[in-house]
Formats: sequence, structure tokens, C-alpha cells
Amino acid sequence: MNAKFLRLLTTILFAGILFMGATPAHAAKIRVVTTLTDLADFARAVGGDLADVRSMATGVEDTHGVPMKPSFVPMLNRADLLVLIGFDCEHAFLPALLEASKNPRIQVNHLGYVDCSKGIIPVDIPKSTDHSEGDVHPWGNPHYTLDPVLAQVAINNIYKAMVATAPEHKAEFTHNRDAYLAKLNAKIAEWEKEVRPIKGTKFVSYHEHWAYFAERFGLKYYGTIEVKPGVDPTPRHIQNLVTGMKDDRVTVVVREPQFPEKAPKQIAEMSGATLIILPIMPGGVPNTETYIKMMDYIIHTMVAAAQTR
Amino acid sequence: MKVMITLITVFMLSLFSTGVFADSLEDRLKALEENQKRQEQTIDEQRKLIEELKTQVKEGQPAAAPAGAAAEQAAPAGEMQQQVEELKEKVDKVVENQTRTQPGIFNPAIGVVGETVFGYRSRKSSETGSDRPGGYDVNQRSVELNIAASVDPFAKAYAVINGAADPVTGEVTLGVEEAALQTTSLPWNLELKAGRFFGEFGRLEYIHDHELPMVNRPLAIDQYIGGESRTDGAQLNWLLPVDHYISLTTGLGTQFGGDNPPNSVGEFRNFSGLNFWSRLSTYFDLTPDISLEPGVSGLWNPHTAAQWDPSAAALPTTNTVSNTKNMFTERERRLLGADLQLSYKPLRNNQFQSVTWGTEVLYSDNRYDVNDVTDPNNPVFLSSRSVGSLGLYSYLTYKFHRQWSAGFLFDYVEDAVDKKAKTYAYSPYITWVTSHWNQIRLQYTYTDHNAESTAAFGLRPDNAVYIQWAWIIGAHSHGWQQR
Repeated sequence: MNAKFLRLLTTILFAGILFMGATPAHAAKIRVVTTLTDLADFARAVGGDLADVRSMATGVEDTHGVPMKPSFVPMLNRADLLVLIGFDCEHAFLPALLEASKNPRIQVNHLGYVDCSKGIIPVDIPKSTDHSEGDVHPWGNPHYTLDPVLAQVAINNIYKAMVATAPEHKAEFTHNRDAYLAKLNAKIAEWEKEVRPIKGTKFVSYHEHWAYFAERFGLKYYGTIEVKPGVDPTPRHIQNLVTGMKDDRVTVVVREPQFPEKAPKQIAEMSGATLIILPIMPGGVPNTETYIKMMDYIIHTMVAAAQTR
Repeated sequence: MKVMITLITVFMLSLFSTGVFADSLEDRLKALEENQKRQEQTIDEQRKLIEELKTQVKEGQPAAAPAGAAAEQAAPAGEMQQQVEELKEKVDKVVENQTRTQPGIFNPAIGVVGETVFGYRSRKSSETGSDRPGGYDVNQRSVELNIAASVDPFAKAYAVINGAADPVTGEVTLGVEEAALQTTSLPWNLELKAGRFFGEFGRLEYIHDHELPMVNRPLAIDQYIGGESRTDGAQLNWLLPVDHYISLTTGLGTQFGGDNPPNSVGEFRNFSGLNFWSRLSTYFDLTPDISLEPGVSGLWNPHTAAQWDPSAAALPTTNTVSNTKNMFTERERRLLGADLQLSYKPLRNNQFQSVTWGTEVLYSDNRYDVNDVTDPNNPVFLSSRSVGSLGLYSYLTYKFHRQWSAGFLFDYVEDAVDKKAKTYAYSPYITWVTSHWNQIRLQYTYTDHNAESTAAFGLRPDNAVYIQWAWIIGAHSHGWQQR
């Protein structure tokens, strides 16, 4: 039996050594892994053909609830750049994956760790990080990419990281970034014009995704259906919210598709507001595969809902 | 008022930083005069600047303009001022936030986990084999202090200090459940861990009690591992450099199993007296929502006798079990395990809905010396015998709400010494998670023993109900092992 055990252990070790020899040659492209799909879209826009970009999220997940799949580990293990939202947005899945990746290049404070929140002034910084306030983000609200102007900060952070990784391609990255920013700025002007008639519209959403968006487009973000971040609504909270919405004429209820329909539907029915479904990252609903398509969808849907009142 | 305070502050600071420390009174006075002159000059400059700014603001609002036009032209200045105010407010909040975290910046992440189990078992402990009494029981099973931080750019360290109450005396003792150093930057995808830690064997063996999907650790793990897979040793993990996730871990340690008694090493331990273990695991995405994670593990201690001192008065009860007139003394420990976890976690709403099926089969093939102890003072060696025994557990957990999940656990285990003695257990459970940090679980367990088990060990079927309440305060991380 001893000999059998030794043979088994030896076989496993030899198999491992054989696998070790099967390491694929490094591709010439910059290997970029992003946590969310909006960042992947930005990275593809800046990196062009010079970057191989993969996203952990597919777009339908909650930004805080991307499953911690072991299949992400080999992907992270070879990455040159890890692009993330920051402000603790990915705290539920990224730290453990980073540790499992065994890739020193993308660890915190290393060149490959691209925190796109660098340069963003956060809103909703909690006065207390005590758990009585729910699952709060100690550094502030991380959903800044839903403001297309702040998204440009993220794009620039990705650009800088790519230039630092492959300085010989700076000209291509600069050209790609400028072209994308020009396109995005043109769209921002369009979106601002489209939203102008509904400025001041009040809305609620399930989770606090829309603070930056509301500020950018002059809308009033009234509150959330969740009692506190990560804590589902109670009947009393729903009743209080509906009463407040009626008093303050809140006309739109936003449900992010990751969250259950029941409470938003009930609140919309009780308050007389219009219920809409808005994605929080590209791919969240059909025909929103890119960031610009997603923002188009969000603006059109919001404007349509506000104008039906 | 603010200007006055600032001036006084600047003045006081300059007072302390210059003239006061001059050698003579004359020097001090001279320095003060110079200071005063500089302050007056600064005040004059600031006054001029304020006047200039006032003029600029006035120029931006022509008095003769029509009311409507004035309002329109004033708007940019007002808007700018408002934007500046908003920006200032945001920056102040960020600064305030950063200031708040500064005092703790050099401290490690600290968290405390508490776990209380309220229970009722229908039979006394001698008939259940439990270290807890029968009847009504309240067990403060653990209070864990978790501490973790980077040691340097190359390693991190963590410790889990556990306080647990003795079931008989109620006396609380503090113990080091884990305290290990873990490398973070070894080449070739390697990671080394050393110290006291839960060795990587199987699926639920290296998970702390409060993180289990059920109240109690499965019986097969308790029987063959000795509770959680705690060891004092070193473990090397290798992530194979291929596109598919394959993880290989191997380690060695002086003991393996948290409930095993402390080692009595005698005077000398050979290399063969150590425990060696290994685990190979992989993962498949069957669909975007369905995944399969299988693994195999092995544990071997070639010379178990080194784990205790035969001359000691009391032999470790987990290593020797009396069976009629014979005494079995463990000489070699051999354990193989195969496990799998099949999960359905819909990408869109996995926080609200999921199904997890986990199963592990353990095969123990320990070798024992059999002694006739009819005369305890004169044991007679009879033979050396291997006992192959099997154990398994299988559980299914269905999460149907962000806060609620329900499941069922099936246990089967053969005694490691007497494989004819078999135990079965059936445990439905329901869990209410009020938040990430607060969880209550209700579990019913029916445990059944066959006739051999009753004859050999006096165990009898029993019913049990448990309410487990676990909470966390402070820092907690979503670890890789608890995924």
C-alpha cells in the first residue's frame, strides 16, 4: 500500500511538471482583464488591435455580485493589466481572485493594477462605515461610469496604463483614445439635449447606482428601494417610500435587471410612477453591447418614461 | 472672522518658529519686528487681492443692463461660484473620509466572529458519541478573532484566535486556531504557507465552522480527519500554467485534524512520522450559469506511532479504541478523498437564487497493531491489520431569496477501526441571512446507528434540533476557499 501511495503522489507530481512545460508563449498583444463590461469597452476602444481584452462580467450581473469563478484565475494569471472600477466596487469577488491569480504584475499598487477611480471625486461618502448602515462603500459611491463625463477619467486611466505597459505604441493609443473621446463627447452633447426637457424629473431605483448620472443630467435622485445597500426593502420602508414619492411627485421607478421585480413593481403601482428597467453596464439588457449603446438606451428610456407623465 | 483666526494662527506659528529662539532679547525683538513687517505686507497683498476680485465680480454684473439680461449675465458667475462651492464640499468630504481612516492605516484588518449553537438531543452523550451533553444545550462554539495584514512586499500573515468553552466545566480557553505566513510573490505560480493553518484536503475540511453550509461538520470528516483539517506544518500550492484552472497542493505537518490531541513526540521523530497530504482540483464552466468543481485528495502518515508516546500513561483516545478484549493502536494513517461541487448560479441574479450540490467520499485505510489486553498490565501483540472503511456526505442547498436558503444533508460513515459499525444521519436545514454579517440556521438531525455500532460503542438512534446563530463584526473578507 505504501508503494501504491508513493506511486500516486509521484504520478501527480510528474503530471504537474508536464503541464508546466505546456506554458503557452506570451502573445504580443497587451492582455487586459476588466472586472466589468463598460471598462472592457473602454479598453477595447483605447487598445484597438494591440490589446486582447476580456471581462469577468458579461453585463447581466450585479456590479457587486460577479461570481467568483475559478475559470477567471488562469485569465488573471496571464494578464498584463487588471482594470477595475475601484472605490471598493469589486470587494465581494476581486481580492480573493487576485490572491488566487498568483500574478504579481496586477497586484494592488503595481503597474498592472489599473484603478479607474483615480481622479474621481466620489459622492455619497458614508459618515460611518459601521455595518448598521448596511453594506456601505467606505470610499464613496462607485457607480461613476454611469456619468459619461466621469467615464472619460476612467478612459484616461486605461490609456495611461496602456502607454506605461507598451510605450512604443503610444501614438496608436493616443489616436484611439482621442477618436473615442471625440465620439463620446458628441454623444454627451446629444444626450444632454435630449434630457433637457425632463430636467428635474425625480426618480427612485433599487440600488444606489444613479447618483452621478442624476447629477450630470439634472435629474433628482429621490432614494432607493433597498433599505440600505445590500438590505432588501421591508413593508414599512416601501410604505414610507411610496408616501414620500406621492408627496414629492416622484414619477419614475428604475429597476436594475439584477434585482427582483416584485418590490419595484409594487412601488410603481402604489405611487403611480412609471416603472422602467435600466442596465448598469453594457450587455445588461439586449442591444446595449457597448457603453455608448447602453447610455443611448438609458437616456431614451428615461426620457420616454418621464414624458409619459 | 476666519481671516482673523488665520492671521493669529500664522502669527503664533511664526512666533514659535523664529524670534523666540533668538539668543538675546534684542535679537528677539528684531525678529518680531521683521515678522510683523512681513505679516503687514502679507495683509496688504491680500487686501489688494480681495479688492481686485470684488472689482472683477462687479465688472461681470453691469448695473445698467436690463433686468432680464442682468440675470442671464449674472448666471455664469453665480453658476461658477455654485460649482466651486459644490467642488469644495466634495473635496471636504473626501479629505474628511481620508482623515477618518488615517488612525487605523498601519493596523491589520481585524474582525470578530461569534457563533452560538442552541441544541436539543434526545439521548445522553454516551449514546450519541458527542462531546456535548444530551438534552438541552447552549454551546458558545467559538469566538474567533481574525487578524490579517501584509508582512512585507513578499508575504502576508493572518491569525485566528479562538475562544471556546469546555462542555463540562464551562471554562473558556483561548487557542490559536490558525497563525500562518503566506507568500505573495513566489515565481512559477507557487504559493507557500507555513505555520498553523487548515491544510487543503477535500472540500469542507478547511472551512471554519461558522462558514459551513450546515450546523455541524459532516460525520465522515469528524471520523477520518478529526474535525477541521488543522495542522502545524507547511503547504505549497501550485497553479498550473495552463488556460484551464488546475490547482495542485501538497504539504506536510506534525498533526492533521483540529480535534486530534496535541502530539506527544517522544524523544525523536523520524521524517516518516509526519503527515503528508496533497490535493488536486479543477473547475469547469458547463454553461455560464452551471459549474462543476471536482477534486481528489490524499493524506498519509507512514508511521503514526511517532504521533504519541507509548510510554505515556494516557493514550490518545482517537488513536486507540478498545474493541472487546483487543486494543487497536494506529500505526499508519491513510486516507483518500474525492469530492465534487455542482452549482447553478444564474449570472443575473445569483445573489437571490442558486442551487449547490456538494458531495465528498472518503476512504480510510489505516493500519493498526492489534493487542490482546485481557490483562491490561501485560498486552500481547496479536497481529497488524488494515481496516478499509468508507464515509461520505452529500448536501443540496437551494437559495431562493437574498436572505433565505434551505437544504438537506445526508451523512454515512463507517467506523475507522470497526468498519461494520455504521452511522447514518439525515439533516434538513434552513438558513436566514439577515445581512453579510448575521445568520441564523435551524437544523433537524436524525442520527441512526446499526446494530454493530450499538454493540461495539453503545450508540443509539437519536433526534436533535439545533439553532445556530453566527455573527461577524469588523473586517471580513470573501476568501477564495469559501467561494
